[in-house]
Amino acid sequence: MPPPAASSRYPSPSQPSGKSEVTDLKSQLRQLAGSRAPGVDDSKRDLFKKVISYMTIGIDVSSVFGEMVMCSATSDIVLKKMCYLYVGNYAKGNPDLSLLTINFLQRDCKDEDPMIRGLALRSLCSLRVPNLVEYLLGPLGSGLKDNNSYVRTIAVTGVLKLYHISASTCIDAEFPATLKSLMLHDSDAQVVANCLAALQEIWSLEASHSEEACREKESLLSKPLIYYFLNRIKEFNEWAQCLILELAVKYVPSDSNDIFDIMNLLEDRLQHANGAVVLATVKVFLQLTLSMTDVHQQVYERIKSPLLTLVSSGSPEQSYAILSHLHLLVVRAPFIFASDYKHFYCQYNEPSYVKKLKLEMLTAIANESNTYEIVTELCEYAANVDIEIARESIRAVGKIALQQYDVNAIVDRLLQFLEMEKDYVTAETLVLVKDLLRKHPQWSHDCISVVGGISSKNIQEPKAKAALIWMLGEYAQDMSDAPYILENLIENWEEEHSAEVRLHLLTAAMKCFFKRAPETQKALGIALAAGIADFHQDVHDRALFYYRVLQYDVHVAESVVSPPQQAVSAFADTQSSEIKDRIFDEFNSLSVIYQKPSYMFTDKEHRGPFEFSEELGSTSITPEVSSDIVPAQQFEANDKDLLLSTDEKDDNKGLSSNNCSAYTAPYESSNISSQMQELAISGPAASATTTQSSFDFDDLLGLGLSAAPAPTPSPPLLKLNPRASLDPRAFQQKWRQLPISLTQEYSVNPQGIAALTVPQSLIKHMQSHSIHCIASGGQSPNFKFFFFAQKEAEPSDYLTECIINSSSAKAQIKVKADDQSTSQAFATVFETALSKFGMP
Amino acid sequence: MLQCIFLLSDSGEVMLEKQLTGHRVDRSICAWFWDQADSFKSLPVIASPTHYLFQIVRDGITFLACTQVEMPPLMAIEFLCRVADVLSDYLGGLNEDLVKDNFIIVYELLDEMIDNGFPLTTEPNILREMIAPPNLVSKMLSVVTGNASNVSDTLPSGAGSCVPWRPTDPKYSSNEVYVDLVEEMDAIVNRDGELVKCEIYGEVQMSSQLTGFPDLTLSFANPSVLEDMRFHPCVRFRPWESHQVLSFVPPDGQFKLMSYRVKKLKNTPLYVKPQITSDSGTCRVSVLVGIRSDPGKTIESITLSFQLPHCVSSADLSSNHGTVTILSNKTCTWTIGRIPSDKTPCLSGTLALETGLERLHVYPTFKVGFKIMGIALSGLRIEKLDLKTIPPRLYKGFRAQTRAGEFDVRL
Repeated sequence: MPPPAASSRYPSPSQPSGKSEVTDLKSQLRQLAGSRAPGVDDSKRDLFKKVISYMTIGIDVSSVFGEMVMCSATSDIVLKKMCYLYVGNYAKGNPDLSLLTINFLQRDCKDEDPMIRGLALRSLCSLRVPNLVEYLLGPLGSGLKDNNSYVRTIAVTGVLKLYHISASTCIDAEFPATLKSLMLHDSDAQVVANCLAALQEIWSLEASHSEEACREKESLLSKPLIYYFLNRIKEFNEWAQCLILELAVKYVPSDSNDIFDIMNLLEDRLQHANGAVVLATVKVFLQLTLSMTDVHQQVYERIKSPLLTLVSSGSPEQSYAILSHLHLLVVRAPFIFASDYKHFYCQYNEPSYVKKLKLEMLTAIANESNTYEIVTELCEYAANVDIEIARESIRAVGKIALQQYDVNAIVDRLLQFLEMEKDYVTAETLVLVKDLLRKHPQWSHDCISVVGGISSKNIQEPKAKAALIWMLGEYAQDMSDAPYILENLIENWEEEHSAEVRLHLLTAAMKCFFKRAPETQKALGIALAAGIADFHQDVHDRALFYYRVLQYDVHVAESVVSPPQQAVSAFADTQSSEIKDRIFDEFNSLSVIYQKPSYMFTDKEHRGPFEFSEELGSTSITPEVSSDIVPAQQFEANDKDLLLSTDEKDDNKGLSSNNCSAYTAPYESSNISSQMQELAISGPAASATTTQSSFDFDDLLGLGLSAAPAPTPSPPLLKLNPRASLDPRAFQQKWRQLPISLTQEYSVNPQGIAALTVPQSLIKHMQSHSIHCIASGGQSPNFKFFFFAQKEAEPSDYLTECIINSSSAKAQIKVKADDQSTSQAFATVFETALSKFGMP
Repeated sequence: MLQCIFLLSDSGEVMLEKQLTGHRVDRSICAWFWDQADSFKSLPVIASPTHYLFQIVRDGITFLACTQVEMPPLMAIEFLCRVADVLSDYLGGLNEDLVKDNFIIVYELLDEMIDNGFPLTTEPNILREMIAPPNLVSKMLSVVTGNASNVSDTLPSGAGSCVPWRPTDPKYSSNEVYVDLVEEMDAIVNRDGELVKCEIYGEVQMSSQLTGFPDLTLSFANPSVLEDMRFHPCVRFRPWESHQVLSFVPPDGQFKLMSYRVKKLKNTPLYVKPQITSDSGTCRVSVLVGIRSDPGKTIESITLSFQLPHCVSSADLSSNHGTVTILSNKTCTWTIGRIPSDKTPCLSGTLALETGLERLHVYPTFKVGFKIMGIALSGLRIEKLDLKTIPPRLYKGFRAQTRAGEFDVRL
């Protein structure tokens, strides 16, 4: 739901409606404007204050613009500041009037007082009126040369503002070059930092259409420059340090000495009082050492303590941001906080958003050595006054139980929950017991005796009810009154509002019937009749299916509906490891908090100024997984039963094994679809050779993708290696290092656009032309792909970024190549391949 | 980077709006934000349909920042925290009236703290030189410091100096430097009376009024007790690494020199022994509080507070020492003060449960408060504070105190 457009609801009722007061102000200001009487500044201050307070409340006072400007001729600095504030707010809407202000602002830019010079320059640049940019050039130019650093600092930011108003004016005035020389030579750290920020932004925006800017952008990441910043990092204030650290993350070190040098330079930043600096440093450390396994592990040890301090010492909001990051680290290095689990114990007064993250942490770090203590602690929360936290902690106990091999003690705890007789505790526990039994059927004896004692009348929540019914069906032989409980529930079919519960009732009645036919027959009959009459499609269909199968042959029905139990060895994680890797690459960003890579949620349109980080930093290189990832809030819902539909999971894996040859993770689901998969793929799912068979597999799953490998097109000038391989990190590194050798735009034929509704089909199609996808993302209408290809004969790579806009039917490609002389030939191959996309 | 900052009152009214970039953020976003359900609204980072919002809440005022691009979330939150600190420092507190009365000052401050969405300087000492605090505070300041020219509209010299946290050349007739050890004890005691977790979070706070460019060295008698430290930017890292001494050029005025943690303490100064037995709809409550290990100084301002469970319909509680109050939101507070020498303070009485309930299933957590002056419970002791060049009329002072942070006793 977009925010309502009307913004007028917040002015409080006690405020004046505006009109008459504003007119009043207008005349009073007019009187003062020409006055030189003593004390006039004081009365002006009062009036200005009134104007600005109206503005703040949201009353439109733009009509006094002229008078405000007239009054602005003053030497009183507070008065000036108020005037600047006012002008900055309304200039954009009154371009004609703002011409008036330019005059006095320009005059102020030459004031004796550096503070006034600075403030005037800042206001001047903040007017953001496109047709007045020519007036900015002079003051900006002299501002950059001002002998006071305060003015220079503001002028540098002013250049960036100018760039956003009119890029060409900024470039033509050669401001970027001036900034570069300031960045390298200015004595003031803040000036240098602002230069860096401005240049990063300007060059990365320019880079798409100027080779020179592209080179300049790359040069920011050159070794001498990085060391220039890192060596003097302590001179910068904390925020500028963050900026420099973000730059350092993108630097590709030349060798391990380089890495150690940087880490030595930055080591003490981990002790900085500002959490943002600490976290940025942590990111540098983690990224630098990715390729050095031993050192990487040592880094985890080193960053542990500072991170824990941040969690416990800051405000709850800070803890929240840090805890979101810790979770990511635990996934990478489970041992890291294993002995520090007490840090994640919840204190009574903490806000629940912090408690929730702490519970997640406790779940994630539980291992053989600390499970007992953690579960004991979690059990204490089950009796917590905060019901939501009580529920979460029970779920946490359940998750830990599913992770562990030795669940003996945990089962007892879970069963104790059932004895607490709190409806929500019972409900949560039932769901968990169900999952536990699916994984560890050997516990059925202990659990069933307790579960059997629970009255189904006390359970209202659909999920819990469904869990109980599932157990009744599955363990009908062990629960003496299972058929009768089911019969009771079936009799109340009409009052059961949840389709999920009704589905489970049908299945449970079937299972119970096979085990205890005489007692269940009647109930099953009622259930099937009610089910077939049900208005819910799934319930109706399932009832009909059961009915027909039973009619066909009862034994067949039994083998279909109630085969011998099979333990589930591992539950599907709600988030694939690829996604987690990708988020890890975006450490210290919003992605971590939303638990999805930024391409899935940041708005492309507004990413303009930050393409620098966007280019490869955020669209990191990992095999693409289906993009319909549930938003963070919905994860919880999924967590409740710890189960994704396994079909869905396999879909993802099936597709991703196509995309990337490096991907050979073993499958771990023991249900039917994995058996099907064994049929389809013989041997390990090894890359290119299995392309054919994994298509079959997709077809088995009914994806209906018709994209069979097309015959290789008539021999093009350039021969590509169909079995090319490149690991994602190498790709990323290359992408950073190589210049763009070619940029082109093609049209995509309508069939291709139509086929693009399944972006994976393009990936397959290109692969059949020996162009392999390494990462992809985006949503309709904008899709983004990274491809690579290799020459047939020699190990010379072509890297391509391809952005397809499905509404304009255009594809924009950027090619980077080891051998630049052949990039045109490659582009031709690419275009030929792309033009055939979607053709039968 | 940040595109806009809003300050909202506790009723959701926009008190102040500061646009930072060319992308104007309509204030209707605040209305959207305010209408969200509480559990979602309280999150520090929120995705609205158009923007990502960061928020912190301080004394009823919501500081809301908006962005549309990816950025480090902690940076935004840290920055908002600094804004809140600086405002509360300037205005002498934070509330709706103070902000509304001084909105010009707030605008001025924000203007210097952030430009084009990127934070500039948030050092209170530097800001104080650029922007005069409101009259009352500045008057008080000039009385306290005896320095009438403290408040000026001139450019901060510190902004250009190589020590960004210090103005170039402050002058004082009497030179003073105070060091405070302020510690907070966080502890969890479980229902069996075992100490599950006990930690100290401590800060070394300083107040310095020293002429010129002083170079200080602070050393501890037992630095090895410290677990993990965070330092003010002025602290030099090498001397700490090699000799565990803090060597620094201090900012002018009050500041936090370092913060630290001390883990795994073995003991709390107080014990709290709660007992609740319930039978046929009534509960008997008794809570004993006493000294577990004598810290050697008086334990003051002892309080015990807890939330009565929802299912309690009425409570009748009294104590043999101190006062007991029960608020309408079922928060019960027992103010003990100091432990008397002749008896053990005891809170006792009965709770009546809602009809139909036999026993109590949900148990309260007791929050303990206390304060001990003159001692740092972590055992950390300051050895000495040296100045490289000793100015005339120097006065050095040391203090320590420990108070309860999050001290939970569970039942």
